[in-house]
Amino acid sequence: MDRKQLERWLAEEERGHDEAADAAFTQLFAAVPRLEPRPAFVEQAVTAAWRWRARRRRLIASGWAAASVLVAAGVLGLYLASPTLAPVFIKALAYVTGHAVPWFVAYATVAMNGWLTLLHVGGVIASALMTPARVAALVGVELFGILAFFALQRIAGAGRFGDAQV
Amino acid sequence: MSVTASDAELARDALAGSEAAYRELVTRYATPAVNFIFRIVRDRALAEDLAQEGFLRVYQRLKTFDPQRKFSSWFFQVLRNITIDYLRVNRLPTSSLDELAEEGVQGAAVDRDSRSPEQLAGQSELAAAMTVALSRIRPEYREVVVLRYQEGLTQPEIAEILGLPSGTVKTYLHRARKELAGILSELGWGPGTETLSAEVP
Repeated sequence: MDRKQLERWLAEEERGHDEAADAAFTQLFAAVPRLEPRPAFVEQAVTAAWRWRARRRRLIASGWAAASVLVAAGVLGLYLASPTLAPVFIKALAYVTGHAVPWFVAYATVAMNGWLTLLHVGGVIASALMTPARVAALVGVELFGILAFFALQRIAGAGRFGDAQV
Repeated sequence: MSVTASDAELARDALAGSEAAYRELVTRYATPAVNFIFRIVRDRALAEDLAQEGFLRVYQRLKTFDPQRKFSSWFFQVLRNITIDYLRVNRLPTSSLDELAEEGVQGAAVDRDSRSPEQLAGQSELAAAMTVALSRIRPEYREVVVLRYQEGLTQPEIAEILGLPSGTVKTYLHRARKELAGILSELGWGPGTETLSAEVP
């Protein structure tokens, strides 16, 4: 790092030549002393990574072994208990199915009736209220509302842009 | 594994279980890693500890490294995240300039109030003054200066590491150089300032 390089960089900065100043500073900065890590740094980093790798492999192997034992034990247990469990399971399944299906059909019917009633009431009200004049007025109000909505959006957008500029 | 293997090739081999490839990767990046972290935390031992943690994290996440990206960008991003995580949990260590000198940074103990330009003569003194100036600029400027001028990364690469727009990095570099010039000037290395470097035999 010498005085000439410094002078060159400062001169480029003074002139406002950004790229030239960048290049001059790169040369100047190359001489800034760098810290060298301890000699054992690399060895420690490698050892730490390989210890982690070995630990992870052991953990994965243990996990697989535990999972295999659990699955095998489960299968064996089921096999041994199947003469007892199978009838109980089938009975329970038949009971649940036998009760659930009629309940579901009844519930769906009631729900359907409710919707049909609501639809009917809506239709009656609509036919009583809606005349051509009222429909025209309603469409007019809707259009006005939509225009107002767009206008507000534009105003809000302009406000945000103003903030960004600030 | 050839001697001139690229970082991406070394990363791939390390992931496949090659200790030699990982060792080579650590050897290549040990000094840049320690220096990068040291410029942020200003504590040599802590910088080495965090760099060790960084290398372990890099190894643990090698699977996520995209070979299309530049390894150094990804690596410094990991290092930076570790350093920031550490600083979030712990208070920023504020080493004095004397401590910096003890840590091995040549000339770090130079004090602008106690030393005249005459004492800061010579090339090594200018390097020392630059080190001091670097320690005084804003941390975000220091980061970009180290990545750009010490590690030789490009502005887009720095932008990727720091998660900033490229234009902001350019601005930071410009302002950082201005600040460094100002501090160097205060230290007696301004334009036209005469030093003893030419006079000292």
